[in-house]
Amino acid sequence: MTLSAITIQNLVKRFGNATVLQDINLEIPQGKVSCLIGPSGSGKSTLLRCLAFLEESTSGMITINGEALGFFETPSGKRERLPPGQIRAVRAQTGMVFQQFNLWPHMTALGNVSEALKIVRKMPKADADEKAMAQLRKVGLENRAGHYPSQLSGGQQQRVAIARALALEPKIMLFDEATSALDPELTGEVLKVMRDLADEGMTMVVVTHEIGFAATVANQISFLDHGRLLFSGPPAEVFAKPRHPRLDQFLDTYLDRGASMLA
Amino acid sequence: MTFKIFTLLLQAAVSTIGISLVSIAIGFVIAILLSAANLSGKAIYSAPARVFVSFFRGVPLLVQLLLIYTLLPAIGLNVPSIVAAIVGLSLCTAAYQAENLRGGFASVPKGLIEAAEVTGLSPRQTFFRIRVPIALRLTLPALVNEAIMILKSSSLVSVVGIIELTKMAQDLASSTYLPIPIFLSAGLIYLVICSVIALIGRYAERRLARTSI
Amino acid sequence: MIFNPEVIIEKLPELANGLLVTILLWVAGIAGGVVLGFLVATARRFGGFVTNAVLGSIVEVLRGTPFLIQIFLLYYGGPFVGLMLDPIPCGLIGLMVYSAACYSEIFRAGFGAVPAGHVEAAGCLGMTRLQTIRRIQIPEMAVIVLPPAVNLSVILLKESAVLSIITVPELTATVSAIGSQQYAYLEAIFILAVVYWVLVELTDRIGRLAEYRLSRLRFSKA
Repeated sequence: MTLSAITIQNLVKRFGNATVLQDINLEIPQGKVSCLIGPSGSGKSTLLRCLAFLEESTSGMITINGEALGFFETPSGKRERLPPGQIRAVRAQTGMVFQQFNLWPHMTALGNVSEALKIVRKMPKADADEKAMAQLRKVGLENRAGHYPSQLSGGQQQRVAIARALALEPKIMLFDEATSALDPELTGEVLKVMRDLADEGMTMVVVTHEIGFAATVANQISFLDHGRLLFSGPPAEVFAKPRHPRLDQFLDTYLDRGASMLA
Repeated sequence: MTFKIFTLLLQAAVSTIGISLVSIAIGFVIAILLSAANLSGKAIYSAPARVFVSFFRGVPLLVQLLLIYTLLPAIGLNVPSIVAAIVGLSLCTAAYQAENLRGGFASVPKGLIEAAEVTGLSPRQTFFRIRVPIALRLTLPALVNEAIMILKSSSLVSVVGIIELTKMAQDLASSTYLPIPIFLSAGLIYLVICSVIALIGRYAERRLARTSI
Repeated sequence: MIFNPEVIIEKLPELANGLLVTILLWVAGIAGGVVLGFLVATARRFGGFVTNAVLGSIVEVLRGTPFLIQIFLLYYGGPFVGLMLDPIPCGLIGLMVYSAACYSEIFRAGFGAVPAGHVEAAGCLGMTRLQTIRRIQIPEMAVIVLPPAVNLSVILLKESAVLSIITVPELTATVSAIGSQQYAYLEAIFILAVVYWVLVELTDRIGRLAEYRLSRLRFSKA
């Protein structure tokens, strides 16, 4: 059996009266690629943001490599918040890539990648720069190191953002619709970097509309709808006919976005 | 006693409001003319307009008031000081309103102007019927801010001896030895008037929102 | 009417003194206002509902009343509560408090304009809130708040002329006094206006240059 990188148990997230995640249970295996798919508003991004601790769940547990994220339950069933230092330590195991890249505009590509190495890991500037450069090389952008985000294309910005997350050597990478803000001709370069990462055995949780990517790269696909996890499994199983009617309906919408092969 | 003082302050506030309203209205008309000069594309009109805006935005209102107050009699115009005060405030706000309008005019989509031209409107018709109404909608929040600024700035006309809210407060404070309650009351009255202007502005914005781009 | 600016030129050293006082008051007012204003904006953003409401009301009062009234209250009202201030410190305090209120609004807008995602990205990379404010939010804000901050600085320069009313020996007070002594009031005020005009234009130019230099660091409003 494979070890779990992430265990999600009875996770609930409410914003005011609206329940965006209802009782989610999911095991994400180590060294595998897990894709979260579903229509807009299904809660897949919120689930990913809970894993990055950008949203705090209302109840339930998230465990990352065996350590509780953010909250733990006392034997009596009470939910308590962990101390900030401990939360940071568990969060450090994940790296996050955003839909809008979120590169810091006042730093160069190299500065974006080396910043956390310098001020979080307290590495000397030279070492941090060297390590950052190696990451930029990995995403094919070493010759853009001195460029500011505004001087880079969307695809290049997203690759810098991936390098920035990788520089801290996370055990798990989280991707939140990493290609949705890109022009279609630029998605390829980002998907390639993600494929390479998967081939290296990185544990990845990927929220995506790229059904083609999910079908070919993912080891596990989870389909969310209206805040519920309808089912989860290997692509062959999930896409095999007969499919769940909601999934069929969803795939119809994405037929011209690389999902045609599954029709 | 205290009631009497407050009544006097309120009466003086009416002068403050009157002076401000008249100045904003005159300033608005001048600002539209300045904008027309700026947009004319002819240096003979636009250059003086630019100098005017730069000067009145570059010199403290207090100095402008002193200048106009001294200049008018010196060139043989013996007008009451209230007129000098209103002239000063109007010219100053005209410069600021013109600058706001410049931003507004610049944001009017080119296509709308082209549409007016191909429909056969003359340049003057295009200016008054298309550009001005659209620019006004775009700059309404700035106009409301400017009205609040002028209301507050009108306190400076007390320096040339006009009896308005600030001057009244100053006189009452020195005759009653109660500066703290009196200046606080005056401040409160200014605050209330400013809030009312802001409320009217927000209402107008909502009303105009339907016809905005 | 005779326009004879020479009588003013003779008094140039005095004028220079007044100019120096104006510039010192202005710079100190900006420095104090920026620091205090930033603290107010930070406290309002991170200090919880009550702090935000209390500071917000104070800022609204300071922004909704004439600067002259605030100065009168401090200068004439101060002694009644044991606050005896000479004109210069009184003017300086008044200028700082007023500018702090205005700058705080600019910084508040600045905090709001930094995309939440940029702050989230810092959190995901393990930065603490203080590190994020210092390394991400302040530098990003700098580009956004520069134009309104330059505008406000120009306004403060002009506002400082009001301090002449409580006999602060700054530019306006000095030059009007020269004008009265020399029986050349119109000339004096005219020169005064020109000096301010030049100062304001200069500040504006420098500000625009700085904006231009920083503009490549701007992000698009995606």
